[in-house]
Amino acid sequence: MKPKLRQISPVLIELFWDEKPNDILLNHLLSWENAIFSQFGSEVIEVRKGFQTLSCVLKNDLKQSNLKAWQCFVETSIDLSPLPTKLWEIPVCYDPELGKDLISLSKSLSLDIQKLITLHTEQTYRIHFFGFLPGFMYLNGLDPALHFPRKSIPDRKIEPGSVAIGGSQTGIYPTESPGGWHVIGKTPITLFDQNLNPPVFAKPGEQIRFIPISREEFEQLSTDPKPIKSHD
Amino acid sequence: MIKDVGYLEILKTNPGTSIQDQGRIGLAKWGIPISGVMDRRSYNWINHLLKNDPDAAVLEIPQPGFKCRFDSYTTIGVAGANAEIRKNGELISSTVIRIQPGDELEIGKFLSGSIVYLGIAQGFQTQKILTSRSLYLGITASKMLTKGDEIPFFTNQSFGEATFSSAKKNTSWFENEVLEVYPGPDFEELPKEIQNRLLDSRFTISTLANRMAFQLEELLPNSISERLTAPVYPGTVQLTSGGKIIILMRDAQVTGGYPRILQFSEDALSIVSQKKVGQQIQFQLKNLPNIE
Repeated sequence: MKPKLRQISPVLIELFWDEKPNDILLNHLLSWENAIFSQFGSEVIEVRKGFQTLSCVLKNDLKQSNLKAWQCFVETSIDLSPLPTKLWEIPVCYDPELGKDLISLSKSLSLDIQKLITLHTEQTYRIHFFGFLPGFMYLNGLDPALHFPRKSIPDRKIEPGSVAIGGSQTGIYPTESPGGWHVIGKTPITLFDQNLNPPVFAKPGEQIRFIPISREEFEQLSTDPKPIKSHD
Repeated sequence: MIKDVGYLEILKTNPGTSIQDQGRIGLAKWGIPISGVMDRRSYNWINHLLKNDPDAAVLEIPQPGFKCRFDSYTTIGVAGANAEIRKNGELISSTVIRIQPGDELEIGKFLSGSIVYLGIAQGFQTQKILTSRSLYLGITASKMLTKGDEIPFFTNQSFGEATFSSAKKNTSWFENEVLEVYPGPDFEELPKEIQNRLLDSRFTISTLANRMAFQLEELLPNSISERLTAPVYPGTVQLTSGGKIIILMRDAQVTGGYPRILQFSEDALSIVSQKKVGQQIQFQLKNLPNIE
């Protein structure tokens, strides 16, 4: 599973894997990210992740000699460090008032609401990277029975904490935003706090699980937040 | 150095005025856009002229009809779009302007270009959130400044005696219609004929142009399927499934799913920032050394 190297601009260089996103690919991505920092740390401003991509922002224009060094680097084999085992529990209230597309999505998928919730909460999801909005986690692991195309016309306003399904993905809106995903519930926890460092609680490679909670628990956790539960 | 705080009060502004600096560099790992000034070239120049740190914060003013008052001594500089600048009602042409308490500054008609930068000695001193003063909704409380806002700066009367170079503002570069671009990761996926059309045609800036992205009016047939979400940057050119061409700007999301067909050079991004709705651009492909 060797990455392909492609240069995008004098200061952008990308490692690309033409593979399906899964734990194995993520394991490679995260291990290669570490290898980039140990090999080229002083030349790299940041590394951005996608499902199949590590994109490096360089401090200076890449010279021919440095390009050679990168080419040699992607040819080497690196040690894979295992994926983290941490699992976060995200409480979610699947109430049609909070998940305003819950009923319509259950009809479109021909699943009753309880079955939809069970399929959504049974699964463990892997955090691949953050993107789209500050603190938005790209998660892998949605049950294929819940895959459903995004809305053709996005909603103007989706509230922070909304848990939604779009295409083959599920995610939580950390901040208010327009969005085309189907909202099925809401979490009372804060996913992004700009006054904290880091402003997010979880890291790529860690996992999350959605825990169904009642409307009462939702209201209680909204007014009196508890630390987010996790297991190692 | 004396660090007494003075304030600039906004008396009048149209929507879109914001505080900007170099932006939030290196925080994409948490999904945070870089933000920062749209036209880095004008920004760097005004901070250089004012002998500021290269990351000093400025006001980014994208529309005429701005007026403010200073309550303390300072020195300011105006860069970017060529606009009618008035101090206390009188038209002035200098780039670096000495300010006394009570002075009022007005930015009127834009003669060329689309964004004015108002720099100030030592930079504006609003609160930094996640390493930057750049306004971005969700990270800062608001995304733009409004009438009545008071923006802090460090006042110093001795600025009045300091000498600043009286370099004449050169803005002929933002008339340039030919923008230097690199082939994006998905460029080669476009059929040859479409590649030629992309590089030989002129494109028009549409009304859908803001700090997140500039959409172009003309469509380009797209046969490339949507991609798995991948990193994007300011200056990444996306081609949507409907054939729309989108140039991502400074407040763009850090990842996207549309094919990435081109990547702007840093300078081309400054140039396009100064384009107005309806103006035309053309892409000029610059190849990078081949990767074996």
